[in-house]
Amino acid sequence: MVKFGFALNPSSRIDLDKTDREKFAQLVELEPDVLKCMACGSCTASCTAGKFTPTSVRSAILEIQNGRWQQALDMLKGCLLCGKCTMVCPRAINTRHLILAINEVYQSGK
Amino acid sequence: MKNIVVIGGGPAGLEASAQLHRLGYNVILVEKSPQLGGHLAKWDRLFPSGIPAKDVLEKMVSQINGVKYFLEANVQSINLLHKSYNVILNNGITVLADAVLFTTGFDLFPAQKKEEYGYGIYEKVITNADLENWFKTKKDNRVTENPKRIGFVHCVGSRDEKAGNRYCSKVCCATAVKQACEIKQEFPDVEVFCFYMDLRMFGRGYEDMYLSAQKDYGVRFIRGRVSEVAENINKELIVKAEDTLSGKPIKVTLDLLVLMSGMQNCSEGTKVAHQLGIANAGNDGFFETKDAIYSQQHSTREGIFFAGACTGPKTLPDSLSEARAAAIEIHNYVKGIR
Amino acid sequence: MRERILGGYDDFVLPFMTGMAFILIYLFIGLIRIFRHMPAQDRTRFFKSLLSPSIMLKNAKDIVNDCLLHVKIFKRNILLGYMHASIALGWFMLIVIGHIEVALYVPQRNGILYYPVFFRYFVKQEGALTLKGSFFFFLMDFFLLIVLSGIGLAIYKRFRSRALGMRRTTRPCLADRIALACLWSIFPLRLLAESFTAGIAGGSFLTKPMHWLFSNFLSNDLHILPTWWAYSIALGVFFLALPFSRYMHIPTEAFLIMLRNAGIKASHPRKGFAEAEIYSCSSCGLCIDACPMNVNKRNLKYSSVYMIRFLRRRNEKKTKAIADKCLMCGKCVAVCPVGVESCNLKRAHRATRYNTLQYNYSYLGNGSHPAHAHADTQDTPDILYFAGCMTHLTPSIIKSMEEIFKLSGSKYVFADKDGGVCCGRPLLLAGKEDAAREVIARNSQLIQTSGCSKVVLSCPICLKVLKEEYKLQGIELLHHTQFINSLIKEGKIKVKDGGESLVYHNPCELGRGCGIYKEPQEILQQVGELRKGEYEGKESICCGGSLGSLTLSYEERGKITQGSLNALTGCNPHKIITACPLCLKTFAEKSPVPVMDIAQIVKENIYTNTYETYSL
Repeated sequence: MVKFGFALNPSSRIDLDKTDREKFAQLVELEPDVLKCMACGSCTASCTAGKFTPTSVRSAILEIQNGRWQQALDMLKGCLLCGKCTMVCPRAINTRHLILAINEVYQSGK
Repeated sequence: MKNIVVIGGGPAGLEASAQLHRLGYNVILVEKSPQLGGHLAKWDRLFPSGIPAKDVLEKMVSQINGVKYFLEANVQSINLLHKSYNVILNNGITVLADAVLFTTGFDLFPAQKKEEYGYGIYEKVITNADLENWFKTKKDNRVTENPKRIGFVHCVGSRDEKAGNRYCSKVCCATAVKQACEIKQEFPDVEVFCFYMDLRMFGRGYEDMYLSAQKDYGVRFIRGRVSEVAENINKELIVKAEDTLSGKPIKVTLDLLVLMSGMQNCSEGTKVAHQLGIANAGNDGFFETKDAIYSQQHSTREGIFFAGACTGPKTLPDSLSEARAAAIEIHNYVKGIR
Repeated sequence: MRERILGGYDDFVLPFMTGMAFILIYLFIGLIRIFRHMPAQDRTRFFKSLLSPSIMLKNAKDIVNDCLLHVKIFKRNILLGYMHASIALGWFMLIVIGHIEVALYVPQRNGILYYPVFFRYFVKQEGALTLKGSFFFFLMDFFLLIVLSGIGLAIYKRFRSRALGMRRTTRPCLADRIALACLWSIFPLRLLAESFTAGIAGGSFLTKPMHWLFSNFLSNDLHILPTWWAYSIALGVFFLALPFSRYMHIPTEAFLIMLRNAGIKASHPRKGFAEAEIYSCSSCGLCIDACPMNVNKRNLKYSSVYMIRFLRRRNEKKTKAIADKCLMCGKCVAVCPVGVESCNLKRAHRATRYNTLQYNYSYLGNGSHPAHAHADTQDTPDILYFAGCMTHLTPSIIKSMEEIFKLSGSKYVFADKDGGVCCGRPLLLAGKEDAAREVIARNSQLIQTSGCSKVVLSCPICLKVLKEEYKLQGIELLHHTQFINSLIKEGKIKVKDGGESLVYHNPCELGRGCGIYKEPQEILQQVGELRKGEYEGKESICCGGSLGSLTLSYEERGKITQGSLNALTGCNPHKIITACPLCLKTFAEKSPVPVMDIAQIVKENIYTNTYETYSL
């Protein structure tokens, strides 16, 4: 069969068919608050590390839901767990524990 | 002649009183403040088309000729006697009411509770109500001549667990867009930023207003909630938010910040409702209607009715429709029509 | 007094000896284990401490006060203190006097473990009672009575704990119940055995009349052997059950005191020092009433005592749940009669799971030096003001502090005006110790090279870690309450009584964390009428906002906040005053009365003309 179209680069689309539901379920069990985010960005805005690094809880949650957990982990590397994001979150997400839980679930396995 | 007590002299109370009076009832309207009109009396113009609030209010007040109303009056006690309610006011007046209508409306969320926004701490932070007052009177030292940048913060005290109010206050988005356009009319050179989480432009003409704010007034809409505000040595405000669409934290220096305070149930009204056991001790603080779809004007108690924002955030036209609906429901109840 | 039983042996000592041998071997192995698991430097530290006379003296003092007299429990409740002291001291004296008796009367039996315990069985009284003899008889009966009174109280407490100042106590496990039954029966059995034997071996005011009483309807001699058997069995079973019960603290507590006085801290949640702490927990349950989480009954199971119980049983899942839930407010540590530092155990447990998580703080090196931001000021100010992350969410504190600095004419640099870097304490609390060390090292350097001689902090969380972990040479660390108090004392600012009634909420990290209690009180007494809340000083309870807890949900925190607010507003104050941005923010969400930081109320009540007269 003849392949048609451009195949020089792999697709950069987010493929929701390939997200890991099992790991995500583990994360939800550890910290159910991961489901509560409404992406307001308060956490990122107040983040002490976010001024210098791409630290963002909001983006990390989004990346994980899109199956891109490596990007999420990179995003949380600079976190100092200071807790400001917990204080400003309008949905009262326990962001500190969520960050620890994301690391626990996704750092261990590939 | 049947007595109906209406508690709260805002738009819903005025409209319901007028309708009930027309239906031939003896209406007693109780208002806690020295003037009728509630929040409407403090507002300058109304979205979406910018009708002056004064015109609307004057029309409403002109309709209540013949209604007995008491200003600076509170309900001191209310209790059931046989089939009617004995209502005692703080001015000594006692009414035996066949039905009672709550049109107690809402309180604006006290913006100082969100300390990180600095209302009451920083000079240049005002609320939506303060801005309306400035539009009306042009008197407010905090609004200075020729500002360079002005910001609007949506959802202050709404959609916020920390403020104790999880719900959306419904009208602040439209109000913010309206006020953003109006401020551009006042100061054509000013840069205006609206910080929003979601823009809820649900009503007829609202989307047009939004489009106009973008196209005609050049208002910048930034999808991100303001997380904290600091003040520099010149008393300018440094606002931090995330531009969630580009995924980057942003910082902007403003000359004025307007907080869109949301709605919460009127505390005075809740006190009265408590005596009847109908104050919602549940989650959002607003009164619980008999059911959420069919009987919006009924309380869980016979003879007690609701209209307007006391059962949740509502626009002015919503409240007026409810007031008319409540008048009919009360009429049916008193006449024994099921 | 002469030996009655030839050979000095009877079979009934066997249960006792079995138990004794078991417990001694168990303790010996335990000791070896603890030393083996301890980091080498801690071991050296401990042995060195045994050579220091001052530490030895402190050891002796602490052991007498804590293990025998139970001074800490006396301070909490006199009856409860008496119950503990009577049993511990009484038993101890019985053992000591027993040995003296053996040494005096039957020196050939010195060193036989069971002999002093069953002394009365083995000897018989000869001739008239000497003064010396009756003195010992009296002492033995006296201390036996003391112990019995303690046991009586203990039985009473089982059924009515409230009378002894405890609302909630722990639920005992099987080994606890067995050991408890033995403990309750040991001394009454001893009394019976000695009474039946009093005709032969003699006795005093307690055993003699009992002997006479029984002789009226019992043939005493027939009961001698069975009661001694029963006494020995009770003791033996007690020792066998001991390692599995809460009473293990009796032999281990003294050892823990010595380790602690040597300056050793827990570095692992279960091994080494932690093991000594775990076995020293007496499961008394004082920490249950103390825990602020327990406003919600569902949380009872998260009390420190249960965490230690699960650690001991190596129940990882339940230990983890408690370790992560704890607010780390330190109140359970403050009230613990044994001084078990359970917060450190929880931190160590968190570290086993979170310390290995990756991080990258290379960006911290790019943070500009705080002093550079104020390069325009000619002379370097001596005060560095460090507001802290949380304080940026409570601008009223920053504004008030800036005003106070200005009015008092203090020159300062605002270190984190544009948002700073975290102090590292939250990382430590979460068990990310390596990560915290990196932040601490970088920050220390920044502060050290700033050229300031004083750091004023608004956040007690930062203050605690700066004090304990930062190695800052020649820099004084002050919380703003201390700074403001010194300004008032030096006359640099003058405050007036605002005429309002105030109640002070003592932040955990400031009070128990840094030991700062006096300064806030002194300031508040000058700016208003200071009233007392339900819990004061060391007994203060968490606001619910603590960074210490990892898993507590917002709803659960809300209940703690409500409980704390109820305790504060009982005295009907106009305002609640606190001294921590986190407490301020947490309370402000739910409080029925205004909540303010101490800096705010000082600013409101400052005589502004002071500044003008000074500048003239």
